[in-house]
Amino acid sequence: MLNELRKIQKKHGYVSEDSIKKLSKKTGIPVSIIYGVTTFYAKLHTKPTGKYIIEICDSPSCYLNGSLDIIKYLERKLDIKSGQTTQDKKFSLFIDSCIGCCDEAPAMLINGKPYTKLTKEKIDKILKKCKS
Amino acid sequence: MQILRKTDQKAYAKAKKLGPKGVVKILKDKGLTGRGGASFPTGLKWEMVLKEKEKEKYIICNADEGEPGTFKDKFILVNNPELVIEGILIAAYTIKATRAYIYLRGEYEYLENKIRNVIKKVKAKTKSKANIELIVGQGAYICGDETAIIASIEGKRGQPRKKPPFPTVHGLYGKPTIINNLETFANVPLAILFDDWDSKLTLFSLSGDVTKPGVYELPVGTNLRKLVELGKPKHKVKAVYFGCFGGCMPYSNINLTNENVCGKDCMLGAHTIIVVDEKHSIVDMATNVAKFYEFESCGKCTPCREGTMRILNILENISLLEARKRDLETLQELAEVVKETSLCGLGQTATQHLLNALKFFRKEFEEKCR
Repeated sequence: MLNELRKIQKKHGYVSEDSIKKLSKKTGIPVSIIYGVTTFYAKLHTKPTGKYIIEICDSPSCYLNGSLDIIKYLERKLDIKSGQTTQDKKFSLFIDSCIGCCDEAPAMLINGKPYTKLTKEKIDKILKKCKS
Repeated sequence: MQILRKTDQKAYAKAKKLGPKGVVKILKDKGLTGRGGASFPTGLKWEMVLKEKEKEKYIICNADEGEPGTFKDKFILVNNPELVIEGILIAAYTIKATRAYIYLRGEYEYLENKIRNVIKKVKAKTKSKANIELIVGQGAYICGDETAIIASIEGKRGQPRKKPPFPTVHGLYGKPTIINNLETFANVPLAILFDDWDSKLTLFSLSGDVTKPGVYELPVGTNLRKLVELGKPKHKVKAVYFGCFGGCMPYSNINLTNENVCGKDCMLGAHTIIVVDEKHSIVDMATNVAKFYEFESCGKCTPCREGTMRILNILENISLLEARKRDLETLQELAEVVKETSLCGLGQTATQHLLNALKFFRKEFEEKCR
């Protein structure tokens, strides 16, 4: 089921009530169970997300290398708090417990792709590329 | 590095010659132990599953490397993934597994295609017919726990359950199951094929306040100072964290063995070392780690769910200079209750970092209290 839910998340950017009902019909698993599973996992969202999902790492290794500044900078640049989506539906920002790039901290994932050794300048460039 | 040696899939052929019992014997004789943190003898685990009379048996490769500061499994997946697949195929042959699952953490999904290709390649080369299925996790630290990973693969919320029964008897879909860490599987072909394979060599993930972070292959028992010096610290080192769950201790001249580290109420675990120098506050570190646990607690048992939240509240108050000294007593008590009464490994270790920080670096906390 996890792979099924992942497919839905990838295709629509979130797991909607409708898609849960459809999956329930297909599998015979009650809606409540599927909803319970969906909300358990941090990468499955029940509300629409932006085109670019940014997952910024806040592990101790990233923290020691300045992730707090990077998070604050991103929040200011995108004018949202972590957990939110920009009004133009382009970016969603989430904090991740650890993305396993501890030797290249601070780091983040955008739609699953890692960006490492982040600086404010690097973030400016990456966001500019996403916007164009 | 030993972990980068190529077997050219010859270990699989040798395993077939040895037969299932021979594979178990060689793994026992060579002393391969689990690399996920518990150091359970791998040969013994496989033997337990081999002896079960059930027809259906499963294998799970735990690639849900979620412990903050750990990236050794990713290192293997990037640099020598063939070893992992060969190790899984040897396990599948040994216990005649119905199916093997690789549970890859969602944060590594960019490696998914590469792994799928390697599975095809290694299966073709070994002519193994074993089924390997890749499951990509969706961001839940708790799924590194073996009973939680089972629940997750079964399509449930990834919550752990009480043990026993152990997965070797009652695992995936209630059937006998081998669950091993990815690094363990990678070592199986090496142990089988090479006479000079060294069971003591293991991978350390070194990060934090160092200028040369990375994966270092060293023997268990390596001196902490020697390892940290390899990372070329920026400033004077104050403390080390063994990931989040392993606790923290003052930087000292000790050899990294389970006994030594446990003597300081820490755990070596997956050999994760996060270096903290004197420029960083232990209170801030404790808050960062507490945030992690508050977020990752699965919510099943009360002490962990509520305790991690209350602990974070108090730590944030301390950081904001709004706490009183007596709050430290509450903090201590809460941390002890969470440790002693939580259901699974996550909750039982969630506050170890804090208990150690309060023991070894109490002054830093007191300075921020009224």
